[in-house]
Amino acid sequence: MSAAAGGGGESAINPKTTLALGLVGGLIGLYLVPFVPVLGPLFGALGAVLAIIWGADAIARVASYGLGTGVPSIGYMSLAIGIVGAVAGLFGALIFGDSLGVLVGPILGVVLAMIVGGVVGLVGTKIIKMKIPIMVQCTVELAGASAISVLGFSAAVAGSLTASAILESVIATGFIALLFILNTMAIQHPFNACLGPQEDRKRTLKLASSTAFIAMAIAGLLGIGVNSIWWVIAIIGAIGWFISISAFIKSSAEDAASVAWTGWWPKEEM
Amino acid sequence: MDPLLLIGAITVGGVLIGGGVHFIPVGGAPAAIATATGVGTGTAMLAAGSGMTGLITAAAATGSPLWLVLLAGAAGAALMLGITMFVGNWVYIWGVGTVPVSAKVTVDPITGYEQEKYVSPGTEGHGVPTVCYVSGIIGGLLGGAGGGLIYYYLYDQLTSLQAFSLQAGETVSIAAAMTAGIFALAIFFVNSVVASYNIGGTIEGFHDPKFKRLPRGILACIVASLVIGIVGVLLLYGGAA
Repeated sequence: MSAAAGGGGESAINPKTTLALGLVGGLIGLYLVPFVPVLGPLFGALGAVLAIIWGADAIARVASYGLGTGVPSIGYMSLAIGIVGAVAGLFGALIFGDSLGVLVGPILGVVLAMIVGGVVGLVGTKIIKMKIPIMVQCTVELAGASAISVLGFSAAVAGSLTASAILESVIATGFIALLFILNTMAIQHPFNACLGPQEDRKRTLKLASSTAFIAMAIAGLLGIGVNSIWWVIAIIGAIGWFISISAFIKSSAEDAASVAWTGWWPKEEM
Repeated sequence: MDPLLLIGAITVGGVLIGGGVHFIPVGGAPAAIATATGVGTGTAMLAAGSGMTGLITAAAATGSPLWLVLLAGAAGAALMLGITMFVGNWVYIWGVGTVPVSAKVTVDPITGYEQEKYVSPGTEGHGVPTVCYVSGIIGGLLGGAGGGLIYYYLYDQLTSLQAFSLQAGETVSIAAAMTAGIFALAIFFVNSVVASYNIGGTIEGFHDPKFKRLPRGILACIVASLVIGIVGVLLLYGGAA
């Protein structure tokens, strides 16, 4: 995609709604991980799903302006920033000691990612002089959503959010590289697939929840042998995927009907 | 533990990566339908391919001296780009049936072949002509060396910490290698996308008029990498605690 990836103009969904859903819901999910016994990682994964829906909405808003580099590139970039923030946050929080570090880690990771996202957004508008008014705001949102999604799925794999557990079962195993690409796809694919003049944000976000849930199911499978409730995460992810992809296919068929029922153009004009 | 060395290495590496992207013939969507010169995909895909290959070859040289890690990274990334451009040319020549030709220059600066006659009317060239190919290889070498530089110093600094130190009988600390690898990959993506914003998505190589935007792109990469470097230092302080 090189030219303006025209979205549907005004979004059917208020950006503040998805921001609140992703940021607050995602952080609550992350902070339930250490406090809810046994089922904690499940809430982390659900928080990551909310963050991915938020990220997909943010990418749809910024990419509607036409970045010149395609929709996937900003997705990869924001996940890269999210991973830098999340990993540095988890380790950096250990400065405060082990017990406090667990509490500070996730929020520090998200804040660091948003700061780096803000700087990269400013580099885009001030140095490179990109003419996208919401560039900074959307890059900050995307970086935050990416960091929450990486932390949430890391918790789903490792079963906890401590730096040592994530180092051992997510980073040293190489799963972090898989989460990088998996979450990038989950965040950028919905708008990349749905963009165009008839783009309907509700339909795009239905696709976003399906990509988020299938990523959650895969994150659950990665936790086999590490996390005792891997199967709960995988099954709930699969059920969520089935519900959301059904809703997406149904709304696609309904919107396609308005095109199909207009019929072919009149014979005499051919 | 030397935070300033790490920030410096990440900044220099980021600049090498961002500068390297300006050399790579990124054709984007128009090249995918053979109406513009270059490889028919975006920077993110080329960065993923060459960056990951470069980091894997650099990581394979873990424990070697700096020059060998840089060389391994550069060779891996340049090889991956070389193969991508070469196989892309097969498709353009034998699949689409076009001549590799650039519309940005009248004569190929390297081979001296005439270009203008062979450009199909209404297009901006096709395939990957010699000048773009050489430019792409230079870009791959720069980018891979930048990725290798970041990987080398991150790994070097991390293994000096207790949390990542080598266990008895180990020659490579897997945890440190993966942490350094994923960090280097992330920096690779940020810089290649920032550079790609600077060139507006597509470029042919060092002969393209857009190449004059290089200084602005390098400034952008310095700022972005510097901030990531400062954030990356937290890894060292946290790992030491």
